[in-house]
Amino acid sequence: MLLILDILTTAGILFVVSIGLLAVFGVLKIINFAHGAWLTIGAYCAVVAAKLGLNPWAALPLAFVIGGALGGLAEHFIIRPLYRRPLDAILATWGLGIVIGQLITLGFGRDVQMTPNLFSGTVEVFGADYSAYRLVALGAAVVIGVAFALTIEGTRLGLSARAVIMNETLARGLGIDTARVRLFTFMIGAGLAALAGVLLTPLTSVDPNMGVSWLIGAFMLVMVADASFLALGVACLVFGAAQVLISTFVSPILGSIAIAVLAALVLRISPKGFSRA
Amino acid sequence: MSDAARQSADSRGGALTLDGVTSGYGAVSIVKGVSLKVAPGEIVALLGKNGMGKTTLLKTILGMVGLRGGAIAVDGVSVAGLSPAKLVALGVGYAPQEQPLFQDLSIRDNLRLAVSSDRLLPAALERVFGHFPFLADRLAQRAGTLSGGEQKMLILARALMLKPRLLLIDEISEGLQPSVVDRIAAALSAERAASGATMLIVEQNLDFALRVADRWAVLKLGEIDDEGATSPDARERILRHLSV
Amino acid sequence: MPDDVSALGRAARPERGRARLSRTAPFVAAGLAAVALWIAPLVLDTFAVNVLTRSMIYAVLAVTVDLLWGFAGILTFGQAAFFGVGAYATAMALTYLGATPAWIAVALALAVAAPMALGLAVGWLSFYHRSTALYASVISLVTPIVVTQLIYSGGEWTGSSSGLVGFDVLPLELEGFFRLAAFVLIAVTLAAWVFVRSDAGRALIAVRDNDARCAYLGLSPKRLQIALTAVLAGVAGLAGFVFANASSVVAPENAGFLFGTELVIWVALGGRGTLLGPVLGTIAIDYLAANLSGDLPFLWQLLLGTAFVAVIILLPGGLAELARRAWGALPVGRRSGFAPRLVVSPPRPEADASDGPLLKIDGLAKSYGSLTVLENIDLDIRAGELVSLVGPNGAGKTTLMRCLSDGTEPFEGAVSIAGVSTAGLTPNRIVTLGVGRKFQVASVFESLTVADCLLLARAPHDGLSALGRAETLTLPQAALDVLRMTGLDRMLAEPTRLLSHGQKQALELAMVVALEPRVILLDEPTAGLTKAERTTIGAVLKTLTADLGIAAVLVEHDLDFVRQISSRIVVLHQGRLVLDGTVDEVVNSELVRTIYSGGAHV
Repeated sequence: MLLILDILTTAGILFVVSIGLLAVFGVLKIINFAHGAWLTIGAYCAVVAAKLGLNPWAALPLAFVIGGALGGLAEHFIIRPLYRRPLDAILATWGLGIVIGQLITLGFGRDVQMTPNLFSGTVEVFGADYSAYRLVALGAAVVIGVAFALTIEGTRLGLSARAVIMNETLARGLGIDTARVRLFTFMIGAGLAALAGVLLTPLTSVDPNMGVSWLIGAFMLVMVADASFLALGVACLVFGAAQVLISTFVSPILGSIAIAVLAALVLRISPKGFSRA
Repeated sequence: MSDAARQSADSRGGALTLDGVTSGYGAVSIVKGVSLKVAPGEIVALLGKNGMGKTTLLKTILGMVGLRGGAIAVDGVSVAGLSPAKLVALGVGYAPQEQPLFQDLSIRDNLRLAVSSDRLLPAALERVFGHFPFLADRLAQRAGTLSGGEQKMLILARALMLKPRLLLIDEISEGLQPSVVDRIAAALSAERAASGATMLIVEQNLDFALRVADRWAVLKLGEIDDEGATSPDARERILRHLSV
Repeated sequence: MPDDVSALGRAARPERGRARLSRTAPFVAAGLAAVALWIAPLVLDTFAVNVLTRSMIYAVLAVTVDLLWGFAGILTFGQAAFFGVGAYATAMALTYLGATPAWIAVALALAVAAPMALGLAVGWLSFYHRSTALYASVISLVTPIVVTQLIYSGGEWTGSSSGLVGFDVLPLELEGFFRLAAFVLIAVTLAAWVFVRSDAGRALIAVRDNDARCAYLGLSPKRLQIALTAVLAGVAGLAGFVFANASSVVAPENAGFLFGTELVIWVALGGRGTLLGPVLGTIAIDYLAANLSGDLPFLWQLLLGTAFVAVIILLPGGLAELARRAWGALPVGRRSGFAPRLVVSPPRPEADASDGPLLKIDGLAKSYGSLTVLENIDLDIRAGELVSLVGPNGAGKTTLMRCLSDGTEPFEGAVSIAGVSTAGLTPNRIVTLGVGRKFQVASVFESLTVADCLLLARAPHDGLSALGRAETLTLPQAALDVLRMTGLDRMLAEPTRLLSHGQKQALELAMVVALEPRVILLDEPTAGLTKAERTTIGAVLKTLTADLGIAAVLVEHDLDFVRQISSRIVVLHQGRLVLDGTVDEVVNSELVRTIYSGGAHV
């Protein structure tokens, strides 16, 4: 039973961490390797919020806004010149991630930062104690997923973004300002990454390089999901389950590479990953 | 401005002037020095075999393919270098030929993408329901599930949403049964009667083109090979250019 | 480009002398570098010797990354993994077996063989028919992560997170390791230099530019990419061997993904696609890092990261690009390309003159989901025929061409070339059956010269030298005719990106003809050409079919052109073959007139 909870909460966390990357990849067709840096930015927003004496939950909107604003700058100056060179965009965003990591180091030092717990303690589930925060994180994943789905399905920006994903040429021909759609999408993706960074703070130590360890997993999940929001959910569940099961029954080290290896194999067999299912 | 005043101000189509237009992709120029004038409210059919540059010319006017030489003006104002979004805002409607619909989106969303704000949607929908009433009952249906003829009507409806002053239409009659071709021809005539829109239509269906248009031009290898009015002797003259 | 045009007029003799000079230059440079690096440890302090030893080993890795990414276009983060495997193989062998000469030799063999085996596996995983460049990069990212985790899980065998320390190594002093690293670096760089300048080196660039064209020349881009991955994995392993010996420490970071990205950063800053750029860049950056990172550790990383982003966006050629621009501005820096002498190949003995059709299509049908694009196509084409496929847009002509040239394309029915079925064959295998395909958009190698493009087209017949440039280029008479008629024979040293559209079309045709195919598939060979160019191409096609007995299938929209050169015309309409007849029959057909006036509905 606890194993199922572990799987669900792991999938939820993976989903929260990957969703921003997915949005950017879907619309911009660019892999944002600075995604990890935005997770870090979000986590440091929580640090700053704590230093300012704000309610820990206030870090969430703060991170979304700051992440989004910085994302806008990055899109304009770094991503936009590289739309026609997608492999170079991977490199430039990776370089951007290094720069952000070092700026954070210069500002806050390289030590691990303490953040206040968003939600502490345990709850009793099926007769066993379970980390309350992991359940909160699962709830947050569901909320973010639903909000994301509503944005995509219900708003004009969501419609325009879907149009750009499906057929960018046609979208342009209908007078949709695709450059603006890209900018807004990148800002939202960056904002979501920062939001995820705040949500990660109780689960992981906060240091200038914390984002990198999450980047590869998120990247592989997005590759398998191939810009499909639902496929990302499925991929998080399947690979999250694989990770939990392998970690529990085989070895934690093999569990930590389960997502990368399995995703690579899935892509080898079916280049479009889970999105066709 | 009152509605009536806007009506009268808009009820004139835009004048399109092409002067030595050259454009293409990569190293290749596909359209080479095309000059053409379309008067307000006029319908001109652009004919020619495949690969002769018709579609590229439409895309160049719309700003989707870069202009390499020459000038394009709408109502005497140069539109060279403007983005498609700007041209649509100026009152240009476009019905593309290749992958013309978002197959997985609903009819409503396909139409909605043609207006810049949802506030304009109800009036625009009413407008196109006038031309194609069947759309009104099927807004929630996925565009990909429509029949070929219905899809073509949806493409045209979408181009008419904002009451364009200049319509660019690419092979709207392709692969259609005669009855659907008739409905589309009727819609184009009705639209011009109502709004005075100017139209440049790319066609391979000669009979349809001659029925709808006032004038025609044949494009060959990116240049205008022949042009004239749609007089009774036009058909034979054009066929000489088109057949084997 | 006025310089290049004037270069064409120069006499051939000084060109040859120049070519010989430029062939010996790398060896002279390598010799000088070797002497300088032999002396260097005597004048440098211990710290510098230590650091530069490491820097030079990293520079070897940079060469391998550069060959993969800069030359062959494969962005890889995986070289760190192969380096790590080589280093760990060495460290484990020396730790558990000992450092006797025999075991050191075993360690060396393991350090090269183990990464090569892994490289083969990674290559096989990364490169397959229709694989994408992004997928190869994804695999190259996963590889170091997996290797690192395996090292962590290796317990005391691999020393887990602390690595292996203090094993016995080659009996060399500090200077000795410096010289060993220098020797390996010079040897690897020189070998890479000779290779990329050789005829075979052109193939790397060709795969990067246009791997579809490579496949349709009968080359196997995937096999080349796999071989390159495996060999360069071995070279990285060799660097790992030197590293383990020189430092006497190996750690999981040496195999890690972060180290893999650092290698890419060094190569990018130095200048991908050049060899000296990445070598000098790596040494300079690593040496500077060792000196600066003590004083300003974070600032240094910040500057490096910023420079990297700026170079990727603004100066994709790296610092070498800057140097090249400066050099190109000097009069001595201008150099015209190398061009071989053209030789006519002896005419091939007439292939089996049997009466059977060369190309046979039997009940071919293809659909995308519920949309039927082609149905029930039957067609026989014999030697010497020139069959034109015509029909309005969307009739299925290009799809049919694709089905003929790629047996892995899913379709029903059968296609056979001279009696051999093409079912399941990749394009390069079909080329070896004697099929040449000319694409609609001129498909040549933009970074190569005219002569190089032709050389690659001859590779299936004449092979490619991995050591140098052939002095002569042997072409069949028909290919030479194409070149002469279009003036390309006087532009052999010209980079193809400077050619006009018509010249590119002619070059591609010459490349396809150089394959000496029995069947030639041409998709709109005259699209975008001038009247004169069309006439030339038409004359060439007539010669190929009527005189040489090649069977040609032509998709063409210019019906005047079709009328003039075809021996038969086949009309496709809405995916079906509606007419197959002589030029006169088709031209006078009422059905065809109806189809082209847009009215016909079958």
